Amino acid sequence: MEPTDPCSALLADKHVEFIKRLDKKHDELEYWMTEHLRVSGIYWGLVALFLLDKPAALDHQQIVTYILGCQNSDGGFGGHTNHDSHLLYTMSAVQVLLMLGALDQIDTKRVTDYVVGLQRDGMVSGDEWGEQDTRFAFIAVAILSQLGTLEQLDTQGIVDYVRSAMNYDGGFGSGPGGESHAAQVYTCLACLAILGQLHVVDRERLSGWLAERQLKCGGLNGRPQKLEDVCYSWWVLSSLEILGRVHWVDRQKLCGFILSAQDEERGGIADRPGDVPDVYHTCFGMAGLSLAGFKGYALKPVDPVYCMPKDIVERAGLGSWTDKVPESWRE
Amino acid sequence: MHGRRRQHEREPTADEKAQAQQRVERYCVLSTQVAELKAANTYTVEALSLTKQLLEQNTELHSVWNYRRQIFMHLDSWQDMDARQQALERELAFLLEIITKNIKSYWMWNHRVWALGALPRPEWQRELGLVAKLLALDARNYHGWNYRRFVVAHLRAAREDAGAVDEQEFAFTTEQITRDCANHAAWHNRSKLLPAILAQRGEPQAVLQAETDLILNAIYTDPDDQNAWLYYDWLLDIQTSDTDRVRLLRGKVAAIRELLELEEDGKWPLVELVGAFAELDKLQPGAVTDAEKGEALETLRRLKSIDPLHIGRYTDMLRTLGGRWGSLAT
Repeated sequence: MEPTDPCSALLADKHVEFIKRLDKKHDELEYWMTEHLRVSGIYWGLVALFLLDKPAALDHQQIVTYILGCQNSDGGFGGHTNHDSHLLYTMSAVQVLLMLGALDQIDTKRVTDYVVGLQRDGMVSGDEWGEQDTRFAFIAVAILSQLGTLEQLDTQGIVDYVRSAMNYDGGFGSGPGGESHAAQVYTCLACLAILGQLHVVDRERLSGWLAERQLKCGGLNGRPQKLEDVCYSWWVLSSLEILGRVHWVDRQKLCGFILSAQDEERGGIADRPGDVPDVYHTCFGMAGLSLAGFKGYALKPVDPVYCMPKDIVERAGLGSWTDKVPESWRE
Repeated sequence: MHGRRRQHEREPTADEKAQAQQRVERYCVLSTQVAELKAANTYTVEALSLTKQLLEQNTELHSVWNYRRQIFMHLDSWQDMDARQQALERELAFLLEIITKNIKSYWMWNHRVWALGALPRPEWQRELGLVAKLLALDARNYHGWNYRRFVVAHLRAAREDAGAVDEQEFAFTTEQITRDCANHAAWHNRSKLLPAILAQRGEPQAVLQAETDLILNAIYTDPDDQNAWLYYDWLLDIQTSDTDRVRLLRGKVAAIRELLELEEDGKWPLVELVGAFAELDKLQPGAVTDAEKGEALETLRRLKSIDPLHIGRYTDMLRTLGGRWGSLAT
C-alpha cells in the first residue's frame, strides 16, 4: 500500500521514539540477526538524535559501557561484545565515544596500533583477513585523526591507493578497477579532505557525475540507472558539499523525497517511500536533510567529512580540513 | 535494510506470536552455542557443522565466517592436500548455493577469495566461468566484477602472455556491450583495459578510432545514456595530441547537431555541446566562433528550463563561460 500523501514535515518526535525503541525489540528476529553491527546501529541512532538536538534521548553512560565492552584484545572493536574486531566497528565505536565525550576512556595507543597494523604497502585491510577497500583507507585516516595519531599512518601510500581507484568518470571505486559508486566517492573525498589532498580530484567531472545522481522524483541514486535511495542523500550530498557544489542538485526536491520516506506510524526513515524504516536510513536521511538546509526543523549542522555534528567536530579540533580545500575551489 | 515494503498487517494471532518467539529462541540458542564454542577455541567437525547452520540463516556474521576459516585450518585434515582440496571444493559449492540469496554480501565474497587462495589446486578458468554466470544474473553487481578482476589477475600472473588475457577481457566487454550497450560496468571495465590494449596493439590510432565509432553507436542508440557521453569525453582526454583532440571535438559537435535535429531539447546533447565549445576554446583560442559562443551561452539558459533540477550547475557554467567570453554574456 502506498502512503497517500508524501509527508511535508519532519516527524521528529516519532523518530526519537523509533530510535529509543530499537534496543527493546527482543521479540523480533531482526534484532538478533543484526547483533553483529549493533555498535554501528548505536552510531547511526546517535547521529540522528544529535542532529535532531535530542542527544539525551539515549542513556550515554550505558552506551559508553557497552561500547567499551566491545573492544577486543587486539585493540580493535567488534560490532557487539565478543565479536571479532573490524575497522567498520572500530570506526563507529570511536565516533560514538567522541560524540559522548568519552574518548579519554580508551587507550589511544592500543587502538592506533590496531589500525596501523592493518596497513600494508599503502593499502588498508578491514581486518586481519585482508579485504582491501577504499572505505578502509578513509576509516583508518578518520579514526587516527580523531585519536590525534594520524602521523603514524603511511598517508602517502593511502593517497596513492585512493588515486588508483579514480575512474574515467571522475568517480571512485572500491579499489583499482572498481566501478564508481557514490559511497566510495564519499569515502575517497573525505579521506583526501582530511589529508589535504583534494587537488588530485577532477572536480568538474566528479561534480557533474554526482549532480546527475538526482532523479526526477528528487531522490538520489548511487550510480547511473540505479534506484533512488535515501542513504545516497548522504553519500552524494556530503561529496558535493566537500566539492563546494551542493547547489548543483535541487535541495528542496531532495528534502521532499527524504520526508516522503518517513514512516508516519512507526517513525524512522526508510530507503524509499513505502518501505520499512531502519536506523541506518534514519541517520543518513537526517544528515541529508541537514546538509540540504531543510528549513522545517532546526536540525544541527553536520560535518560532511565525519558525519557527526559540526560543533562536536570543531570542538574536537577536526574541522580544519576545510582550510586545506584547494584555493581555486573557494568561489 | 533495503527494498522491504511496509505491510499494514493486522495484529498477529497468539499462535503466530508463539511461532515467531520459537524462531527467535532457536536462532539465539544456535548463535549462543557457536559463540561459546568460538570463545573456547573449539576446532572440531561438529563446530564446523554448527557454523554452517548459523551462516545459512545469517550470511552477515563475519565473526562466524572468521571462526569457520579457523576451524578448517586447525583440523588435522587441513595438512593433507587432497583432503584440503576436497573440503574447499565443497566449501565453494556451499558458497555458490547461498550467494544467490544475498549476492551483495561482502563477507561471502571474501570467504570465496580465501577459499581460492587456500586451495592446493585452484581452477581459475572455472571461477571465471562461474562469475560470468553470476554477472549474467546481475550485470551491475560490483562484487561480482571485483571478484572477476581478482580471478583475471591470477590468470594473468600464471600466463606468460599477460597481453592475451587483457585481449580476452577486452573481448568480454565487447560481447557485453554488443548485448547491451547500456552496460555501464562493461564500459567501465573497458576503460581500465583500453590503455593496455593501446600499448600492445600495432596501430593505437586505429584502435581509438574504432573505439570512438563504438561509443558513438551507443550514443545514437540512446542519447540519454549519461555514461556513454562520459566515456566519449574520456576518449577525447586520452588522445595524445591536441590536433587529434580538436579534430575529434569538431566531430563531436557534428554528431551532436545530428542528434539535435532528431530532438532539439535533448539534455545530454545540449550539455555536451556547451562542453565541446568550452573545451575547443581552451585548446585553440579562436577555434570557436562568436556565433558558437553565443549559442553555448543561450543553450545554458535553455537548459535551466529543460533540466531545472540542475539550475545551480548551469548558473555556475554561465558565470564561468560568460566571464571568459566577456561581452557575449547577457
